[in-house]
Amino acid sequence: MDNSVPDFVLFLGRFHPLVVHLPIGFLFFAFVLEVFSRWKKNPMLTTGIPLALFLGAISGAVACVLGYMLSLSGDYEVDALDTHFWFGIATTAIAFLAWLIRIEKIKIAQLNRLHPNISGLTLLVILLSVTGHYGGNLTHGSDYLVKYFPFGKEEKTELVAVTKLEDAQVFNHLVGPILDNKCASCHNESKKKGSLSFHDSIAILKGGKNGKILISGNASESEMIKRVLLEPHHDDFMPPEGKTPLTEEEIAILTYWIDNAKGNFDTTVANVETPEDISGIASTMLGLSPSGAKGGDIALPTVNMVTANQIVDLEKEGFTLRELVFDSGLYEVVLTPNSLSKDNGQGALKKLEKLLTIKENIIWLSLEDNQLTDESLKIVGQLPNIQKLKLNNNPLSDAAITSLVNLKSLTSLNLYGTQITSKSLQTIAQINSLKHVYVWKTNIKQEDIDELAFNDYPEVILGL
Amino acid sequence: MCNDHHNKLTSNNRDLQKIERQIDRRHFLKKTSLGLGAIALSSLLGAEKMFGATGSKTKEDIILENYNKNRLGLPHHLPKAKRIIYLFQSGGPSQMDLFDYKPKLVDMFGKELPESIIGGQRLTGMSGSQSTLPIAPSTFNFKQYGKSKAWVSDAMPYLSEVVDDLCFMKGMQTDQINHTPAITFMQTGHQLPGRPSIGSWLSYGLGSDNENLPTFITLVSKNGKGQPLKASLWGNGFLPTEHQGVQFRSGKDPVLYLSDPENYDGNDRRHMLDYLGGLNDIQNDAYGDPEIQARMSQYEMAFKMQTSVPEVADLTDEPDHIFELYGKDSRDPGTYAANCLMARKLLEKGVKFVQLYHQGWDQHNNCPGGLKHQCKKTDQGTAALIKDLKQRGMLDDTLVIWGGEFGRTVYSQGQLTKENHGRDHHPKAFTMWMAGAGVKPGFSYGETDDFSYNVIKDPLHVHDFHATLMHLVGVDHERLTFKHQGRRYRLTDVHGHVVKDLLT
Repeated sequence: MDNSVPDFVLFLGRFHPLVVHLPIGFLFFAFVLEVFSRWKKNPMLTTGIPLALFLGAISGAVACVLGYMLSLSGDYEVDALDTHFWFGIATTAIAFLAWLIRIEKIKIAQLNRLHPNISGLTLLVILLSVTGHYGGNLTHGSDYLVKYFPFGKEEKTELVAVTKLEDAQVFNHLVGPILDNKCASCHNESKKKGSLSFHDSIAILKGGKNGKILISGNASESEMIKRVLLEPHHDDFMPPEGKTPLTEEEIAILTYWIDNAKGNFDTTVANVETPEDISGIASTMLGLSPSGAKGGDIALPTVNMVTANQIVDLEKEGFTLRELVFDSGLYEVVLTPNSLSKDNGQGALKKLEKLLTIKENIIWLSLEDNQLTDESLKIVGQLPNIQKLKLNNNPLSDAAITSLVNLKSLTSLNLYGTQITSKSLQTIAQINSLKHVYVWKTNIKQEDIDELAFNDYPEVILGL
Repeated sequence: MCNDHHNKLTSNNRDLQKIERQIDRRHFLKKTSLGLGAIALSSLLGAEKMFGATGSKTKEDIILENYNKNRLGLPHHLPKAKRIIYLFQSGGPSQMDLFDYKPKLVDMFGKELPESIIGGQRLTGMSGSQSTLPIAPSTFNFKQYGKSKAWVSDAMPYLSEVVDDLCFMKGMQTDQINHTPAITFMQTGHQLPGRPSIGSWLSYGLGSDNENLPTFITLVSKNGKGQPLKASLWGNGFLPTEHQGVQFRSGKDPVLYLSDPENYDGNDRRHMLDYLGGLNDIQNDAYGDPEIQARMSQYEMAFKMQTSVPEVADLTDEPDHIFELYGKDSRDPGTYAANCLMARKLLEKGVKFVQLYHQGWDQHNNCPGGLKHQCKKTDQGTAALIKDLKQRGMLDDTLVIWGGEFGRTVYSQGQLTKENHGRDHHPKAFTMWMAGAGVKPGFSYGETDDFSYNVIKDPLHVHDFHATLMHLVGVDHERLTFKHQGRRYRLTDVHGHVVKDLLT
């Protein structure tokens, strides 16, 4: 549609969705009054019906005019629009008719037996519903109403879930869901704001009324990227005010698709040059844990929540618990220094055994300065998800360290102030995830570290 | 009045009378004879207050209460840093004399700084009226250090040993050109006093790791000269008062009057505090003023500090080689080096945020001599803190921040000679560094032009720095908010982006 429609007409047109609720309310209320007056046998209730019908008819007429103005914007699909258009006019006409019948300007003798009033009103309610439904489809898209219908759901061709990031299709797995979430409510098959639709590749390549929206290989010049990067208060900013804007990550994915994947609809991540930050974002989007190979963080495990009783039990024993991510069930546990020294060996072991009640929940553990024995580390070795472990200032020997080789997530191990020797450096090599080991004030010397012949050995911090 | 305070507390203050006329919980419960409605209502108002009793709590209740007290829906993600020490160099250290090496300046000695570089910037009243703005190259010698080949001037010989642990931010930018607004901006995210400082936000959001010490402690080097520091820099703003920074005195006794007076054994103090707490509770029930609660929690904290502070402030159990590491100043309580050492002990004990200040970096004149003096006072302590934290494994989860409120100009303020010059305030480009938990070690971010005047690559605004700092402690800076006077505030207000390039 051409752009010759005056702005003022469009301005008024946008009041259509607002005004349209008036006839709905008035006419439905007339129907309700009629039903109730019959049910309660109270003729008093019927006195308001003519007024309700009259107002419904008038406001319906106004809504029709405004609706026509709105349709001039050309943002809507012609077929769906036509249906809504004619049903709207029919509803208004019937409303006038019903009003005239009610005030007895028109008498239809033949239909007297059919209670003309109630039949007219019923017809009105049906028309209202149909018109409203088509109107809703225009605004929200035709699959809006029943999208979450619980039974007999007809799935779109389900994307094959990917297990490796490399297998993911750049458009279908990454870009598509963003467009569906943030753009498709206004740019779809039936509602094409600015004549733009995102429902398939042809529509996307076609662009909108201002021309193409993507220039393959040049995101910064592509309209769809330019629009989302504008100042949020700019008139052309997308999505418009009131809708959820794109996140930085989502914009990064769209940019990556246009720049690196050249706006291709079929290519997979493996065939495209993929920077590290993009693969991180993409992995998160797809619910894949980022691969450890690129030196990122170890993924956090999913665990059961810790109960209040378990917390109280542990805190009573001198442990302090702090949740590391709210409501994740992942904890930092600190044993107050010098709280084991009072106990003899067995008592201390019993205390530490309490940790096994939440063994998967512990991510960081500090047992520093607690007269720990080698034997007690067997308990620590059973806490599978530990990432940071502080054992410093305890009389531990090399034997203690052998208990830790099965900790697959351990990244930082603090052993300063223990009695370990260079032997432990060999044991530590078995913990692949380890990045930092602290061995100040132990029997380990600089020469021992220099002699190590491992690739990828964690950084050993000796101190002064 | 004391006899019937259970019947009605009355005040001659009109505001308080207004509160008194509002529903009085006790009366309400009495009138409804503890009916079901009353119980339901009081459970809405807070179940633990229902019967007004404090003595009936079991040990389990107290544990759970303490545990839940710290839960505000945070952290938002896995933190990298458990604690932060911020070494604030107040006055505005000169970036081009310490870290931002500008070799081309040597050939431009005394030449006028081009207008294209100044870019129409409004200068301060101190140098803006100068008839000439001559370029003053640094009088210090620069060398590259460490595996990271970081440039550091010979003013900081000790720090140059630890550059591979530092993450330099050379494109820092602030909005403010004068000390008070600039330092307030750096510490609270806003140039006017009244907003909560960084440490207060963290105390409010993340709670305490050691119930016996304040979460947020401020240390100021003694005998500081130059621009004054004021308590609003570590103030709580509109956050509850118990989150303000507790300033330790710079001297032998960091907190006064902790020891019991002569002839008093202190044995009944607990009893006294409990009774006082009861009285405050009555007042709290009547008026609900949050300041009453703050006062109660501060009394408790003071009580605990009677034992915890002497223990942590006592540096005598530190071995000699540690004192040697921090330098001979560290044996003199209240100096920067001694404060660095004390800060390490506080961090070890679980204090979440230590804010350290050292004044005197405001070299309007005699920049070469002034800087040399400042570095002599601070360089060894700073470097020692990094080394000490590292050997204890604490650099793993401690974030160290070094920086001032702005940088200094490349042109000389006042007369320029081969040996001497002054430098004026410069907000458009300056250098800070961070080290430790979650930031890239041996890394430099951001670049300035040949004059260290404009940032030409990767600018880093103070708001972005704040957002990144919050990110490192597990906080999404957009989600830690506090409603005050009708709107929600946050440290970064409506600004700030996490600078992911700085993160490991």
